[in-house]
Amino acid sequence: MPFLAEEAHAAAGTPSIGEPMLWAILVAPLVAWALIAAYGRKFPTIAGYLALAGVGAACLLSYYTLFNVMDADGGIRQYTHEWFSAGSLTVNLGVRVDGLTAVMLVVVTTVSLLVQLYSTGYMDGDHGEGRYFAHMCLFTFSMLGLVLADNLFQIFIFWELVGLCSYLLIGFWFHKPSAAAAAKKAFIVTRIGDLGLLAALLLIFREVPEAAFDIAEIQHWAGGHLEGNVPTTTVVTLFALGIFAGAAGKSAQFPLHVWLPDAMEGPTPVSALIHAATMVAAGVYLVARFFPVFEASGDARDVVAWIGAITAIVAATIALVQTDFKRVMAYSTVSQLGYMMMALGLLGYVAAIFHLFTHAFFKALLFLGSGSVNHSTNTFDMRKMGGLKEFMPITFWTFLIGSLSLAGIFPLAGFWSKDEILLDAWRENRALWVIGLCVAFMTAFYMFRAIFLTFFGTYKGGEPVDHHDEDSHFHGDPAHPHESPWVMTLPLVLLAVPAIAAGWLAYDHMFKDFIEAALPEVHGHGSTFEIGIAISSSVVALAGIGAAYAIYMKKWVTSESIRATFAPFAIIFENKYYLDRLYEDLFVTRIMQGGWNRLLQANDKYVVDGIVNGSGRLAREASSRLRVIQTGQVQGYGLGIVAGILVIVVAVYAANPL
Amino acid sequence: MEQNAKWLALAATVAMLALSVQMFFAFDLNASGYQMVVDKKWVTIDQFELRYALGVDGLSMPLVLLTTCLSVASVLVSFSITKRPRAYFACLMLLVSSVVGVFVSLDFLLFFLFWELELFPMFLLIAVWGSGRKEYSATKFVLYTIAGSAFMLVGILTLAFAGDTFDIRLLSEEGRIADPLIPLGWVFFFLFIGFAVKLPIVPLHTWLPDAHGDAPTAVSVMLAGVLLKMGGYGLIRMCVTMLPDQAAEWDVWFAAIGAFSVLYGAFITLRQTDVKRLIAYSSVSHMGLVLLGIGALGDTGLTGAAYQMLAHGLITGLMFVMVGLMYERTHTREIARLGGLARQMPLITTGLVFAGFGSLGLPAMAGFIAEVTVFLGAFERFEWAVLASILGVVLSAGYVLWTLQRVVFGPVKHDWDGVTDAHHWWEHTVVVGLVALVILLGVYPAIMMDMLEPAIDSIMVRVES
Repeated sequence: MPFLAEEAHAAAGTPSIGEPMLWAILVAPLVAWALIAAYGRKFPTIAGYLALAGVGAACLLSYYTLFNVMDADGGIRQYTHEWFSAGSLTVNLGVRVDGLTAVMLVVVTTVSLLVQLYSTGYMDGDHGEGRYFAHMCLFTFSMLGLVLADNLFQIFIFWELVGLCSYLLIGFWFHKPSAAAAAKKAFIVTRIGDLGLLAALLLIFREVPEAAFDIAEIQHWAGGHLEGNVPTTTVVTLFALGIFAGAAGKSAQFPLHVWLPDAMEGPTPVSALIHAATMVAAGVYLVARFFPVFEASGDARDVVAWIGAITAIVAATIALVQTDFKRVMAYSTVSQLGYMMMALGLLGYVAAIFHLFTHAFFKALLFLGSGSVNHSTNTFDMRKMGGLKEFMPITFWTFLIGSLSLAGIFPLAGFWSKDEILLDAWRENRALWVIGLCVAFMTAFYMFRAIFLTFFGTYKGGEPVDHHDEDSHFHGDPAHPHESPWVMTLPLVLLAVPAIAAGWLAYDHMFKDFIEAALPEVHGHGSTFEIGIAISSSVVALAGIGAAYAIYMKKWVTSESIRATFAPFAIIFENKYYLDRLYEDLFVTRIMQGGWNRLLQANDKYVVDGIVNGSGRLAREASSRLRVIQTGQVQGYGLGIVAGILVIVVAVYAANPL
Repeated sequence: MEQNAKWLALAATVAMLALSVQMFFAFDLNASGYQMVVDKKWVTIDQFELRYALGVDGLSMPLVLLTTCLSVASVLVSFSITKRPRAYFACLMLLVSSVVGVFVSLDFLLFFLFWELELFPMFLLIAVWGSGRKEYSATKFVLYTIAGSAFMLVGILTLAFAGDTFDIRLLSEEGRIADPLIPLGWVFFFLFIGFAVKLPIVPLHTWLPDAHGDAPTAVSVMLAGVLLKMGGYGLIRMCVTMLPDQAAEWDVWFAAIGAFSVLYGAFITLRQTDVKRLIAYSSVSHMGLVLLGIGALGDTGLTGAAYQMLAHGLITGLMFVMVGLMYERTHTREIARLGGLARQMPLITTGLVFAGFGSLGLPAMAGFIAEVTVFLGAFERFEWAVLASILGVVLSAGYVLWTLQRVVFGPVKHDWDGVTDAHHWWEHTVVVGLVALVILLGVYPAIMMDMLEPAIDSIMVRVES
């Protein structure tokens, strides 16, 4: 690549980290991918080790980067090179590191590394082990590229690449029709959101072509600090909404959230890494990246906040009635992403990223825990589980920690980050604060419902292994569940540590100051903790756990009677608000495959080709008529010539009378 | 003897490729105008001197490279052909020469000669070695093109009389065509029709699905890969450069027809049941972007249009190769009969998935750079056309992924238990080569952008004056 122009924005508080180090973070998993792609088929056993080595190297470098950026108090360092130019268009390739990037790097590589380790146990013996690790490395590469990018064009590139990896991994077991369908759905639904991102890219090029999509320049422009080019609020709002549309697709915001629950068709470690901790949080990251743009547009912020809140509550209500262990977690993820978006819409840049940070760890933990349960019972159906506490103690205790953290119980990680969001809501918009509290109650309730159904009571036998299924690689006997091997429990234990302690970084505004340094200007809220908010949210969370305990452990009230009381709601929740039906019946079947396209095709077949074939027929018939005149008799031709001359003579005289 | 034909054809195309690569390295990126010119006096009729004049500039050089690469590919995918290989490869070679001739001609009449010459081998290749309604498709292809060529010839002759020469270099000069009696608007329209049939645009596109559907693999590769590009090349080289004022009058139509073709093609693609017809309709959609980029009449848009031709040539070429390899083994192109092939043909599946993602414009592949450049270039002037066209981004994801789901994913079908994966060296060479080129143009666009730049700049000088 022609790394010709090199510029480093050096200022006070600039991290000293060198450029090769930053590119190395990106290249390490890519090298692992290339090696696995080349040799994985021949030597499938090495794939896992290569993945561990590649991601491990990226992880070490990320921690080095984090400490380096911490020395500079979260300041910005950027290296930019020209990639290509086409006329007035110039596109750069560059890396940018600051507090926000450093946090994301650490989250992505840490979770990825632990998930790779876990996968060496979970995916052991699968047909496509090599393919699996190759895709996972490619994903890690793309995700790191996304957070390191210094301009919107580059973000868009990696944005699409993580989408590709998501597609490949959701459809990993492609012989299952449901997996193939879910993969397609995920890609197409997120692409609908990407239209907005693409439109934002076009808009910014038209408005500030000289910025070359640079993040800092765009932030500058939106803030109205660009001389001679102060944007109108409408333009900034349109740009912000475009960015948010992209974010809504990736981060599964209402009404584009429908792909994420289906994405659970992928292997569980994939769900943990991509569909819980990292890629789905990319939308939140993107909005945070362009936070000054949202600061400049109140309308866009309102949209973000309300869409986030609606997503949070819609997903939480659906999670209440799921019987599939993993789907509970999926809807919970959607709900928590809504929480983060809501925070961003309420000017809670710090709160959103802080929740993204803590959520990544405890949600990855919960997903890996559900994978561990599946590894031993061969099912995700909670009605076939129960009593697993006895058989799988490590899985149980770590899962409990993750759930408590998610429910927001003091002093675990989720408590601190969720409280910051509720505090921002309290300050900015009380209606959203009420929604936030309702969601907090439901979150505690559905998580503990899942725990009581899965780990308590008596074991109901799991799902028998289908020995005819040549693709199944299930070892052991679901009737006798067992704890998972150490490669799977070790990541659980390691993830439980940040699930407990990550929230403590809020101490003395450490986290806040660090990531706020990435913004050009800080207008955010001051304090991040208030005792009243903390007490109210804790009471609500404990009430949720208590309700689950009353219904599913003590059975003081049966779940059936509650369902009967709230039947209309329950039916709506169980049918996921009928959105899938709406999309599939109306848009896909009726419009795309049905009337509209049929009409166009008929146009091609009958109108366009009708004219084409018709003119062919016309020529043939005309010639067969005309052929009759051509008799070969000279007298006939002579007559014709004379008649013709006569006509010409008459015509000429008629036109020019003497 | 019959079996030696393919080796001779391979040697010839590899030699062409080697020479064009050598030209690529010898090409002076800083010079504007034509390079490596061969100019011989040929025929003189009255005041007209027809010349055998060949040369390349930044616009044609990449297209020559594309042609030579795809020529090698189409010879290699024909290696297993058994029906009259001598005649087959002779036709293929004639096709290759005539297409290269179109791209390097500097004399308008010579250009037209090559343009027409290409029809002859194409007709035979489809009618003799094709499948299905092959005679109908071949005839339709030829008649459609000839109808367009008739218009084009009128345009060429009028232009030549107006400019007193057939020399493309002279005709492109400013002030050359000054005769006020010549209805330049009509000349522009006639040339446009000729090129638009080839591109193709909606509604002059219905020959394409038929020709693609019934042509043998190699011919589909050449047809989608380079023959369609003759249309886009002609539009830029002749219509825009020689008649920039008329182009400026018509630019809205270019953008509108382009955007319409993008959407119309994409919608119809969704309903196809035959894999090859499906790819053909997706080509209509993708070539609409070329027209949109040209309509923008800006340096970014034109560069994007030229890049889209290269990207589409490689990606769709690869797509047809993959489908061809599949067809050779299953003998069906019907989507409903295929399915679950990923297990039986992992390599072919990988290639098809790759080509599919290239086609839907995934970054790190050539198509993405081209699409985005067209969009960025056209957005300033034709916001509405671009916003309509980007819907094609979702539709293309729809038809590509839905096709993949039905063809290669899902449960294994036991009908196809005995089929083999790609295993011949020539199959591997083609797939790996095309994949590498698609990635190369996707991650290092400057390799072609830098070459296009001087040529686009000199066109822009004409357009802006």
